[in-house]
Amino acid sequence: MKEYIPTIGLEVHVELKSKSKMFSPAPNQYGGRANYNTTVVDLGYPGTLPWLNREVVSIGLRACKVLNCTITRRMHFDRKNYFYPDNPKNYQITQSRTPIGRNGFLEIEVDGTFKKVEIEEMHIEEDTCKSMHKGDVSLLDFNRAGVPLIEIVTKPCLSSSEEAMAYLETLRRTLFYASISDCKMEEGSMRCDANISIREVGSNQLGTKIEVKNIGSIHNVGLSIEKEIERQKACLERGEILREETRRFDDNLGETVLMRVKETGNDYRYFPEPDIPFVEVTDDMVEEALFSMEMLPKERKEIYLSRGISSVNVEKLLQNKELSDYLNTYIDTDLDFVVGSNLLLGDISSFLNRTHQTLKDTLLTKEKFQALVFKISTKELSSRNVKDILDDLMETEEDMDAIISKKGIENISDTTYLEETIRKILLENVSSVEDYKNGKDRAVKYLMGQIMKETKGKANPSMANEMLLKELSKQ
Amino acid sequence: MSKYLDLSIQEIHELLVKKEVTPKDLVVECFERIKENETLNAFITLNEDAISIAESLGEVEEDNLLFGLPIAVKDNIVTKELRTTCASKMLENFLPIYDATVVENIKKQKMIIIGKTNMDEFAMGSTSRTSYFDAPKNPWNKNCIAGGSSGGSAACVAARLIPFALGSDTGGSIRQPASYCGIVGMKPTYGRISRYGLVAFGSSLDQIGPMTRNVYENAVLLSNLTSFDEKDMTSSKKEKEDYTRFIGKEIKGMKIGVPNYWMSDIVEEEIRLEMEKTIRRLEELGATVERIDIDYIENAVTLYQIIAMGEASSNLARFDGVRYGYRTENPSDVEEMYRKTRQAGFGREVKRRIMIGSYLLSGENAVTYYNKALQIRDDIKKSFEHAFETYDLIIGPTTTTVAYSLDENLDDPMKSFMDDILVIPVNMAGLPGMNVPIAFNHNHMPIGLHIVGPSFGEAKMYQLAYAIEQDKKLNLNPKEEVA
Repeated sequence: MKEYIPTIGLEVHVELKSKSKMFSPAPNQYGGRANYNTTVVDLGYPGTLPWLNREVVSIGLRACKVLNCTITRRMHFDRKNYFYPDNPKNYQITQSRTPIGRNGFLEIEVDGTFKKVEIEEMHIEEDTCKSMHKGDVSLLDFNRAGVPLIEIVTKPCLSSSEEAMAYLETLRRTLFYASISDCKMEEGSMRCDANISIREVGSNQLGTKIEVKNIGSIHNVGLSIEKEIERQKACLERGEILREETRRFDDNLGETVLMRVKETGNDYRYFPEPDIPFVEVTDDMVEEALFSMEMLPKERKEIYLSRGISSVNVEKLLQNKELSDYLNTYIDTDLDFVVGSNLLLGDISSFLNRTHQTLKDTLLTKEKFQALVFKISTKELSSRNVKDILDDLMETEEDMDAIISKKGIENISDTTYLEETIRKILLENVSSVEDYKNGKDRAVKYLMGQIMKETKGKANPSMANEMLLKELSKQ
Repeated sequence: MSKYLDLSIQEIHELLVKKEVTPKDLVVECFERIKENETLNAFITLNEDAISIAESLGEVEEDNLLFGLPIAVKDNIVTKELRTTCASKMLENFLPIYDATVVENIKKQKMIIIGKTNMDEFAMGSTSRTSYFDAPKNPWNKNCIAGGSSGGSAACVAARLIPFALGSDTGGSIRQPASYCGIVGMKPTYGRISRYGLVAFGSSLDQIGPMTRNVYENAVLLSNLTSFDEKDMTSSKKEKEDYTRFIGKEIKGMKIGVPNYWMSDIVEEEIRLEMEKTIRRLEELGATVERIDIDYIENAVTLYQIIAMGEASSNLARFDGVRYGYRTENPSDVEEMYRKTRQAGFGREVKRRIMIGSYLLSGENAVTYYNKALQIRDDIKKSFEHAFETYDLIIGPTTTTVAYSLDENLDDPMKSFMDDILVIPVNMAGLPGMNVPIAFNHNHMPIGLHIVGPSFGEAKMYQLAYAIEQDKKLNLNPKEEVA
């Protein structure tokens, strides 16, 4: 079998998180009763005109910045003409001559290697409405019609499913953190088409491009690419000539299936949108677009790693923006980020999941969290103790010390009391001490059990453990 | 029978203030006149609520000259809950759920919409003969066209059925019928009046404007139609103006240009002679009149066809039977629904223009034709701007002929465009243009003068138009003349 090199380019559509739609004051909201988030503009009523939402331009500019694109300073819109029932005006307002951004890149990491994925261009356009088919009836919901989208087109510069998936994950996270989009593939606020071709090693000419449309998850993008590469290889090996076609990924089959063979180029009859004047992008507009933008995942990662958080936990934190945002409020303090992140990802996360709350819903104050982290890092509180007091910390207005004393955990870190208890236990268990000296580690466990029993479980385990070892070494 | 509607709007207003007449009286008289002149076929739909609206207007607003006055609206401007057909089978039963911004403005002014006027289907034509509801007729000779596309609006104002009408002008559709019917019609600067709610034909050219019996009333109406509208991104942010402010001022010292092409033999001799007479009078009144050249105005029709048809092919795509308007019965699939709906819903001229427009935007044609036309259009605009550095205003005849017979040139689509050859360059340049009647021909059909101003120069145009109107003192009431 010959060796082949895959060439992959991705086109990603994301719905922008603006308050209202791209060309009308109708709310931009997912879900809701069918056809309620609409105005005459979204329905393409006769006489209506597009009314460009400046917030959309602003979000577009922010996207240009985070994806390192060159901004088109004199920007305009174009009409793309085609008939389809989900297209209310039978033309879509998009940007073909003057995309808002060009020549950008996004850095990805695959197996420890960094790569800049080149972005050819990104443009703003309006979404179509949603059609549903029930029996022989077709229904249309225009709530989505006119929702702003950006389409981000990479150059054909990806060479594996891993790279494609890493790009999508990095893109998704970047756009999400920059408040550009919710990027929920399951709700359709992020959609991906993949262009895949393969060529023989040594050949300079790109192979025939196959487009896989509207893939529903990042995982399936990876699968589609792998399946497509396999399928194309098999075709070429059989001596077939590939034709340009559009395919889709079938979830059930786990394979790509043919939708249509590309005919002689679709004629969309593009022309400049006469209803919208040119938009002159000023420095102020760019500045405003970046104003109040939150820290991007790349920078967060660097900070977290530098403050000692393990890369596994960094990854987990970045997956939960709420927790990452919370931790970030302590960036200027000397809070122990390792303990803080463990707490957030562990006990606090399980509390939030259990009670279906977000951090904002709880009564955990900045002071309480800080005190809690401090007491854990100084070993005044054990993880067992944390579990005991956490609900009260989250649900009451009482302060840390009050909760600790109420729970009767105040003695646990009383070193004198602990020391006395340990000495007493050692005197009572001379044989275990002997076992320890003979290298039987099990003895430590037994002695710890005795200590806990004596203190009715209130001893700080790690502190007790440490002190026990210290006492044993003196014996 | 009362004759309030023959009075000037100042006189009517005085009677309203004195409570000698009510808005309802005016509406009733208006309906009577429309009924008596049904053969003009000026209206497609009458507003059955007009009388009750007139009754509920409340106290007369003394400083609002337009209070309680009836107005007709061209049927391509949407009116909430009042049928808006665009003179097409496609929208035969279309009840809009919103008002055009210009309609909101006239309602704010407490004017009463009497009905929707006849026109060429989707404003495509120059004779109003492409109307699905048959052509309106010229009040000066009912065997003649009223012109188009705002033929119904021109006819009803000319016949004194109503003092005011709104028209729309993509390539002369206000000025040319105004000339054929002997009324004053103004196409303001592109962007002056919001297009929101005007069913689009050629978006970069379309403009709504007032059509009235005389110059002063035109200026008053325009003053109340303009406003910046955030719903139309191409509408101008300029402050509101009183367009009557120069009316009555003498025109001494005014510099006027006359393009050579507009006085060439494309224009009927009788019209040229009337033009010469008018020019001499203007000189006697102290204006300087000089011949000038404007680049590419002889190509304007070709450029217009490319731009207007290209845009129309896209603008009319929304009429597909899916959400509103006509839909063919029992189509077997979506494809067939589109095809049959548009086949039966649109008339011949509309389909012809959609097809040509689609062709003009296809593949490389968009670059070869549409984009090229946009460039030359810029050159026309620059050439006009250059002329306005020297001249206050530019004039010429509005049309090359007077209104012709209803059955003339029926199968000649190119002739239809030639009717607008003198007015189209103004749309291309986005400038204001107006018609003011200056004479009658040997068959007593009206001849009109075309005044073109620089961008946002409407007030000055009214000054000149009023001076001409006062100098000519024509009797423009066909009932009195034809009797």
